[in-house]
Amino acid sequence: MLALQNLTLPNRRFTLGLGIAQAALNYFKYWIIAAVAIAFLGPLSLSQYNEIDLSTWFYTANIAKWFTAFVAGGFLYVLVPNMIATGMTRRELSVAMGVFGLLWSAALGVLVFAGLLIERVYYGAMDWTQGIQADNATTAIGTWGETAAFAAVYPLLYLAYFAAGALIGAAAYRWQSSGWLLLFPVLVVVFSLDNAVYDTEPFGPSWAGVLGRFIDDWGRGLVLTGIAVVAAGLAIASRRILIDIPLHSKKA
Amino acid sequence: MFDDGTPIYRQIADQIKAEIMNGSLEPGGKVMSTNQYAAFYQINPATAQKAFRELVDEGVLYKQRGVGMFVAEDARERLAADFRERFFERVLAPLVQEARQAGITLTDIIDYLEAQEGARK
Amino acid sequence: MSFSATLRDVTLKYRDGDALADVNLDLEAGKIYGLLGRNGAGKTSLLSLLAAFRKPTSGEILVGGEPVWENAGIVSRVALIREGGDFDDSDTVKAAIETGQIRPGFDTAYALKLAERFELPLKKKVRELSRGKRSILAAICGLAARAELTMFDEVHLGMDAPTRDAFYKELLAEYMDRPHTVILSTHLIDEVANYLEEVIIVDKGRILRHEELEVLQDLGATLTGPAAAVDDVAAGLEVLAEQQLGGTKSVTVAAFGPGTRERAAAAGLEIGPVGLQDLFIHLTEPSRNGA
Repeated sequence: MLALQNLTLPNRRFTLGLGIAQAALNYFKYWIIAAVAIAFLGPLSLSQYNEIDLSTWFYTANIAKWFTAFVAGGFLYVLVPNMIATGMTRRELSVAMGVFGLLWSAALGVLVFAGLLIERVYYGAMDWTQGIQADNATTAIGTWGETAAFAAVYPLLYLAYFAAGALIGAAAYRWQSSGWLLLFPVLVVVFSLDNAVYDTEPFGPSWAGVLGRFIDDWGRGLVLTGIAVVAAGLAIASRRILIDIPLHSKKA
Repeated sequence: MFDDGTPIYRQIADQIKAEIMNGSLEPGGKVMSTNQYAAFYQINPATAQKAFRELVDEGVLYKQRGVGMFVAEDARERLAADFRERFFERVLAPLVQEARQAGITLTDIIDYLEAQEGARK
Repeated sequence: MSFSATLRDVTLKYRDGDALADVNLDLEAGKIYGLLGRNGAGKTSLLSLLAAFRKPTSGEILVGGEPVWENAGIVSRVALIREGGDFDDSDTVKAAIETGQIRPGFDTAYALKLAERFELPLKKKVRELSRGKRSILAAICGLAARAELTMFDEVHLGMDAPTRDAFYKELLAEYMDRPHTVILSTHLIDEVANYLEEVIIVDKGRILRHEELEVLQDLGATLTGPAAAVDDVAAGLEVLAEQQLGGTKSVTVAAFGPGTRERAAAAGLEIGPVGLQDLFIHLTEPSRNGA
């Protein structure tokens, strides 16, 4: 996975977090490269037939949210028995997972930030409109500043989705038959906040955005604060589930 | 390698004694270490150690700290004396009893032994 | 510094009943222990507690003199190898081995040497391994952990006889090279008996016996001879099993007293040893212990 040879006991949770982030990015590197390629080449081929008025990076960035939740949950589900059986404590694992979440969200966030800004230049050169779907209408993102502000929200969103995925992964391991049901309440909260940031169309099942109706007049600052609070709350909840999680016995 | 009845440490002790008696272990000679015994016979080192302890108690082996275990100078005499002491009780008595059950008389046995001895001369 | 292990009034309850009930156990450091018990007797639960895989419902568990739960300094030097290992199945064999490096004491070179000796394909995925190879991978990771308390729970399952033999040999070599505490849980008792110093028998969530190997091996005996004489000698002893053929009777007794051997010999009875496996079967017979 990575150079663990020279690790020391007090630092190994950070080393592990860094290692998992490296391993995960390395594991999915071809997916990520493919997504970047499609984001830039997709509109080029579509432009043969259609007027381009939507940002492809907007879609890429949204798919990355689901992907982030999936990676967090899937990895944690596998890491719990694997790492505890390899002589780690649950506290160490939860710290490692936090480091992984921060690095992963930052990495994807930076990629999407750069993607959206480069896309702005690219669309400008091609004379296309970099727009998003919001409230049944296509809205252009706007100036450089507006594009940057729009793009800058993603690292925080990824963090929230990561924490949500981790919570569901931990719950699914702990309560094998029913833990995954946490998916529904968690999804509704995260998804509604997410859609409220830019009043965008729900990117996924529309029922999940149900709370968006009540918070669409909160204003961006408050919604972003809400996302940060929810991300922290989900992280604390995952840690709580993890902290005394028993390993399942093996059925012979 | 070992039979099921007697504890392994006793079997090892007996084996070392037999090696001393038949001369493959010389008085004053060094005995293999517990770990060597353990590795050779695939047993727990503590078991080998138990055999050694018994032999030290009996004065057959002696320990030189940090060097190892050695065969006592008078080990062979000790063992021979010990064997003589228990020969009649351990070996001969059950043999005679078994012979009697089969209807072999003491005279038959003596005759047989004398004939063997005669043949050897 | 090898680890001692202590359980104080430990109870572990599952939703469907008690796995361990009020267990007290003291294991000295640096010995090889055999853990015997029927399926569901509580062996795995006991080992899971010692490795902090789970938390007891009540009671205290000390390893190396310290509480083991969430204690990184201790659990990083405790290894419990369960049947088939706890791997990420999508890893390659090499990556699965290297995961062990999260333990500061892990010996990667030794692990790779063993992998070569046992012909493990390093580039294959763990999920593609046969049951036997998977067991070996788990066993190798256990040995290379160079832990101070190493526990193997039925890890031999799926290994063929020559491989089991080679594994026990390596375990003993590693133990002599670097004395530490080892617990072997197995059903193949006679196969491992010679490696053990002490034996713990678990039955119905309790510790039934904890003795030195020789004590257990000397514990039982089979007395065979004329029925009346056998009954006479066996009177007052704990009879584990008996069978009769015509006038000849054979009884297996536990806890052979000091004078009994002589009395049996005097009565002309044949005295046979009871193998550890047989003794274990008798001692844990479901009809015993008021079940």
